[in-house]
Amino acid sequence: MTAFVEYLLTGVARGLVFALLAMGFVLIYRVTRVVNFAQGAFAIFGGFITYSLLKAGVPHGVSEVLAIVAAALIGLIFGIIAIGGDVPLLASLVITIGLSILSEAIAMLVWGTIPITYSGLAGHDFVIFGAFIQRQYLIVVIVSLVVFVALLYGFGRTYFGKALSACASNPYAARLSGINVKRMGLIAFTLGGALGGLGGVLVTPLSPITYSGDVSLAITGFAAAIVGGLTSPGLAVVGGLVFGIAEQFVAGYWSPSNETAVALALLIVLLLWQAKRVPVGGLE
Amino acid sequence: MSMRASRKIPLYAVVAAGVITLVLPLMLSSTNTEIYVTIGLYTIVVAGLSLLMGFAGQVSLGQAAYYGVGSYTAAILALHGWSPLVALIAAPIATAFLAFLVGVPLLRLKGHALAFGTLAFQLIFLAVVPETASLTGGSIGLSAIPSLRIGPLAISSGRDYAYLVWIVVVATLIIARNITRSRPGRGLRAMAASVSGASATGVEVERYKLKDFTLSAAFAGIAGGIYVFFIGYVSPDAFPVVLSIEFVIMVVVGGIGTVSGAFVGAALITVVSQVLTSLGTSPSLPPQLPTVLSLGVYAVLLIVILRLLPSGLVGAFSRLWKKAQSASPISHVEGDGTEGAISATGSEEPDELTLADEV
Repeated sequence: MTAFVEYLLTGVARGLVFALLAMGFVLIYRVTRVVNFAQGAFAIFGGFITYSLLKAGVPHGVSEVLAIVAAALIGLIFGIIAIGGDVPLLASLVITIGLSILSEAIAMLVWGTIPITYSGLAGHDFVIFGAFIQRQYLIVVIVSLVVFVALLYGFGRTYFGKALSACASNPYAARLSGINVKRMGLIAFTLGGALGGLGGVLVTPLSPITYSGDVSLAITGFAAAIVGGLTSPGLAVVGGLVFGIAEQFVAGYWSPSNETAVALALLIVLLLWQAKRVPVGGLE
Repeated sequence: MSMRASRKIPLYAVVAAGVITLVLPLMLSSTNTEIYVTIGLYTIVVAGLSLLMGFAGQVSLGQAAYYGVGSYTAAILALHGWSPLVALIAAPIATAFLAFLVGVPLLRLKGHALAFGTLAFQLIFLAVVPETASLTGGSIGLSAIPSLRIGPLAISSGRDYAYLVWIVVVATLIIARNITRSRPGRGLRAMAASVSGASATGVEVERYKLKDFTLSAAFAGIAGGIYVFFIGYVSPDAFPVVLSIEFVIMVVVGGIGTVSGAFVGAALITVVSQVLTSLGTSPSLPPQLPTVLSLGVYAVLLIVILRLLPSGLVGAFSRLWKKAQSASPISHVEGDGTEGAISATGSEEPDELTLADEV
């Protein structure tokens, strides 16, 4: 029971981090129809920048916020490179692959190859059903839930959110009604950067990150986003939770080395299930 | 058709490239022979991937995994007492068969999703190999692989491999070229521009896609098979995700869907990577510098080419060439009327393929 609770809670926390990345995928895909391969890069930059700021003596809280802002800026720059001007969609995807390996090169140059981590906000572990849970997990859960509620509200209720959705459903009509579709795409990339950065900031105290950690984060985030067909933010959160919990259970009850294979097999199954229902990634 | 081909890449250039590459191994040092063989092997893989990207309009991020499957097939069979030649021939067959099994479900995915699906396949490959140590040698890998013999001929020196690779490269490029000029090739081309358009004009989209996917895996499989006999050792480290990305970069740099582009892209990127490694390797420099440099240069090349020269180096060059030719008083014969499927795509220059979107 203790172990079960522990796996479940850590799974939920990790799942919410995946969900943050998945939301970034969904946001960018909905508006621009580009699957941003560099989504994981935002997370590692978020983690690395927080690490450097903390090391430089910047207090907790400020460091994290600055890192998220930096990740948002990186998102904007990536957006300009990937979709600025007139680029076919599939070329945009391949450009984001380039941006992903460029990020790895930069991260390796600046932060080296040794995994880094930092302690989360100070606080003792707490006990639920006999399971010791680090306080950081609680922070992950609270912060991500706040962000999800804000985002879902923002998507559905605000003018800006509606404009984003308009671009997603019919770019041509959106343009006719005076929405600057390209700018909305860049805003989506910026928000996606911030979400990825937040995911990285939250996950680094729980599991150290390396320069090459972006690919696995990106693919799990993508897997979570696929649950909602890349377009539903709510289902993306569900997907993130499924993958986070499944990962912890496989690692805990079976073997940590099977974790990746199981997650990926699950991804392929999901992709196929989605492809049967609607053409995923269909660029109609 | 031959007229168009010779107009694009002049025949004498092809013959010259063939002769130069045939004479080259006689003069190369052993290090350079290794680079020569690597370029050849990558050309084979890239030719397959280029067909897939240019003609079926699909991006595969799992090509290094097929290269790996080919390597392991050849290594395991040769270690279990099969004749090395049979093991080598089995490599592309087994790889193609696996790709067929994977492709049937995976090709339901399009564009972006397929890229992630194939990447997931590669990551599964990398996760499974260390777990099946009894067969694959786990993360340590397999060594003491018997040397290759073709009949009475022992293939042992670097030069022997250089010529073996030369023959296979030529064979692959001829196959690739024939496919691009054949009816299925034209169908695939039409498909890359518009799936619905192609299927409306009677192209069997799904079947061609699967064939293309399988063939590109077979190319990677034979290259992997030769690789393992050449190196004599195989471990999962030889097939990182970044190698799959490198293959995509080679396709893009050379020119998507061009047969000669496969060679140009593979040669250029391999040489650039060698130069960067030797530049970045110095006791006074940080050890990760070569990797940083090569990743950085790959990324910049990929982005710059896709943004500025979407038809790749060969495409850009052949456009210059055409311009120079049309400036001369002797005009050339325009399209010969067999390009029905291609002109249906509405592209002005059917010989050039870019990462067009499915409509």
